[in-house]
Amino acid sequence: MGKATVIPFGPQHPVLPEPLHLDLVVEDETVVDCIPQIGFVHRGLEKLVETRDYNQFIYVAERICGICAMGHSLGYAETVEDLMGIEVPRRAQYLRVIWHELSRVHSHLLWLGLAADAFGFESMFMHCWRLRERVLDIFEKTTGGRVILSVVSVGGVVRDMDDATLKWICEVLDGIKGEYEQIMRTLLTDTSIKNRTVGVGAISKEEAISLSMVGPFARASAISYDVRMLGRGAYGDLSDFQPITDAQGDCYARVKVRCLEVLQSIEIIRELASKVPEGDIAVKVKGSPAAGAQASNVLEQPRGECYYYARGNGSKFLDRMRMRTPTSQNLAGMTVALKGCDLADVNMIILTIDPCISCTER
Amino acid sequence: MGSFKLGGMTFGSLFKKPETLLYPAQTKAPYPQQKGHVENDVDECILCGMCQRVCPCHCITVEKKERRWGIDPFSCIQCGSCVRACPTSCLSMQPQCTAAAPAKSCIDREVPER
Amino acid sequence: MEFKQGFSPLAPDAVHAEAQRRRDEGWRYVQMLAVNRDESADVIYSYMREGDLENLVVEAVPRDGALDSISDVFLEAFVCENEIHDLFGIAFPGLAIDFKGNFYRLSTEKPMTIISPEQLARREKEAKAKAAAEAKKAKAADAAPEADMEAKLAAMDPEKAAKVRAAMEAKAAKAAAEANAQMEEKLAGMDPEKAAKVRAAMEAKRAKAAKEAE
Repeated sequence: MGKATVIPFGPQHPVLPEPLHLDLVVEDETVVDCIPQIGFVHRGLEKLVETRDYNQFIYVAERICGICAMGHSLGYAETVEDLMGIEVPRRAQYLRVIWHELSRVHSHLLWLGLAADAFGFESMFMHCWRLRERVLDIFEKTTGGRVILSVVSVGGVVRDMDDATLKWICEVLDGIKGEYEQIMRTLLTDTSIKNRTVGVGAISKEEAISLSMVGPFARASAISYDVRMLGRGAYGDLSDFQPITDAQGDCYARVKVRCLEVLQSIEIIRELASKVPEGDIAVKVKGSPAAGAQASNVLEQPRGECYYYARGNGSKFLDRMRMRTPTSQNLAGMTVALKGCDLADVNMIILTIDPCISCTER
Repeated sequence: MGSFKLGGMTFGSLFKKPETLLYPAQTKAPYPQQKGHVENDVDECILCGMCQRVCPCHCITVEKKERRWGIDPFSCIQCGSCVRACPTSCLSMQPQCTAAAPAKSCIDREVPER
Repeated sequence: MEFKQGFSPLAPDAVHAEAQRRRDEGWRYVQMLAVNRDESADVIYSYMREGDLENLVVEAVPRDGALDSISDVFLEAFVCENEIHDLFGIAFPGLAIDFKGNFYRLSTEKPMTIISPEQLARREKEAKAKAAAEAKKAKAADAAPEADMEAKLAAMDPEKAAKVRAAMEAKAAKAAAEANAQMEEKLAGMDPEKAAKVRAAMEAKRAKAAKEAE
C-alpha cells in the first residue's frame, strides 16, 4: 500500500473539452477517491430570464451550450408552451424532432471524434469530424445557422422544410450512414480500443439506479430509460422505439451505446421525414403566463435527460427558468466510476461519460 | 489486424476531391436562406420601432424624430426576430456575413419622408 | 409509459424523510431548484418514477434558512445543493460533498436573490398601476359618504357640527402626515439623486397649495 497523493486533474487538460476539475486521491497508480469540482464557467444565464421576455429568452437558452443548442431551445419552448397551454401544430412538432435528432447525430459524431483522439486514433478523429461537417451543412441549408440554429419559437418553428429538402436530408444521411458504419465497425472491433475500454470504469445496474444516472451513461448499465420512449411530441408517432442498452456498464459499453444511437437517430429522422403532416408551422402566441403558474418538462438531450422548469408572474417576463442538465446528474456516477481505476484510465472514463460543464453551470 | 479496417477509407481519400477548401483563395457560396446580416429597405420603413422592441440583444435603435434607423452588426445575433416582427417587411436577412473588422462600428441609416 | 407532471406541497422538516420514502418506493431523484421570492425562496424537489414526474414544493424557506441535506440518500443531489447554497444562501447541513460556498466562483454573494433593476422597475410600475386603479375605486366609493356627511352636519345644531368638523379635519391631517411618512420611507429606498428631485417637486406642490389656500 503506497502513500496517498492528491493529483489535480484539469480544468486545463488535453482530453477535456470543458473546464472540469478533479482532485484525484491516488495510491500508487490506483485512484482511491475523487472529488469533482466545477464552477469555472458560471455565467448566470438563468438570471437573465428577468430581463428578457419569454420570446427573447429562447436565444439565451440556445447559447447555454453550443452542442445542445437545439435541445435547450426546444426544451425551453415546450415548457413555456405547457405554461401557457399552447397546442403546437403537428408539422412543427415533426420538424422540431427532425432537427433535434440531427443535432444528436452531430453531437455523438463530435464525441466519437474526441474519444478517438483520446485513444490516439488521429485519423478516425478526422473521419468523424468530416462526417459531422455534413450534418452541420444540413443545418446551414435548412435553418441558416451551423451551431446556433434559432429555429424554434414559442408556438412552433420559424422555418419550414419542403419535401425536396426532406428528401435531400435523407440522401445526405444515407451517405453519412455508409461511411459511418465503416468507422463504427473499426471502433467496436479494434483490439487496441478494446484493450483500453473493456472492463474499465464499470458501473453495475444497481449502482446506476441508486445514483439516478441518465442518458447513454445509464443505458450502458442496462437501465432501459430514455425520455423519447415517453412518446411526447412527434416521438409518439414512431412505429417502434426501443432504447439502446448494454449490460456491461464499462467504457466499451458506453462507446457502443453512443455508436448505435447515431444509427437509431438516422432511422428516426428517415421515418419522420417520410410522414411529415401538412399544416401550419406555428401558432400565434398571445398573452403571457399567469402569475404563479409553473410547469416542468423533461427532454432527451444527446447526453441524457434534461429537466426544465418555468414559473410565470403574469407579465411577459418569467419569474424563474431552470434547467437541470444530464451532466449534473452524472457527476456522482463519475466519481463512483473513477474509484479504483488506473490513473491512466481516468481520461478515458471521463470522456465516455461525456460531461458538458457549460450546460451544468449555465 | 484492427488498425487497417479504416485503411480503405483513408487510402481512398487520396484519390478523392478534398473535403476542405483552401480558405482565403476559395470561399463557400452562402446558402440563399443563410443568416448573415439584417438589411433595411429604408424606403419601406415606417419607423414603428417593432424591431427595436423584439430584439433580444438591444442592438437596433429607432429614432422617430430624427428619422434614423440603426443597427450594431457586431452585437446582432442573427436570430431573425426583427425580420419576422416587421409589419412592412422592409427588414430582410441577407446571406452575407458581416466581415471581421479591426474596430466595432454601427450602421446608421436615414429614413426618407414619404 | 405516459408523461405526467404534478406539483404538491412539502413541509420543510419532512424533506429528508420524504427522500428516504421515495427512494424505498423506487423513485428516481431528478433535481432540486430554488425560486427566489421577495423575502424567501421556494425549494422544489423533483422525483420521477416511470413517466410520473412529481415536483414537491417547500414554500417560503427564509433567507439564510436551512433544509436537511438529502445527499446521504441521493449522492447526486450534492451538485444542486451546493449550487442553491451558493446562489440563494440556503444552507444544507450534512452535505455529502460540501464546498462551503466555493462551488461556483462568484463575484457577488447570493446573486440569484438580488432583484435586478429591470425587475424592480417593472414591479414598481405594476404596483403603481394597481394603486391607481384602487385609488380610483376608493374615490368613487368615498364621494358618496362625504356628501351625506355634509347633509347630516347641516341638520345638526351648529355647536356639535363645529366639533365634528374639527374632528374630521384632524383626521384628514393625520392621514396626510401618514402619507408623508410613507412617501419618506419610499424615498429612502430610492437612489439619492432621484429622491432629491422628488422631494423638490413635493415641496413646490405644497408651497403652491399653501399659496392657493391663502
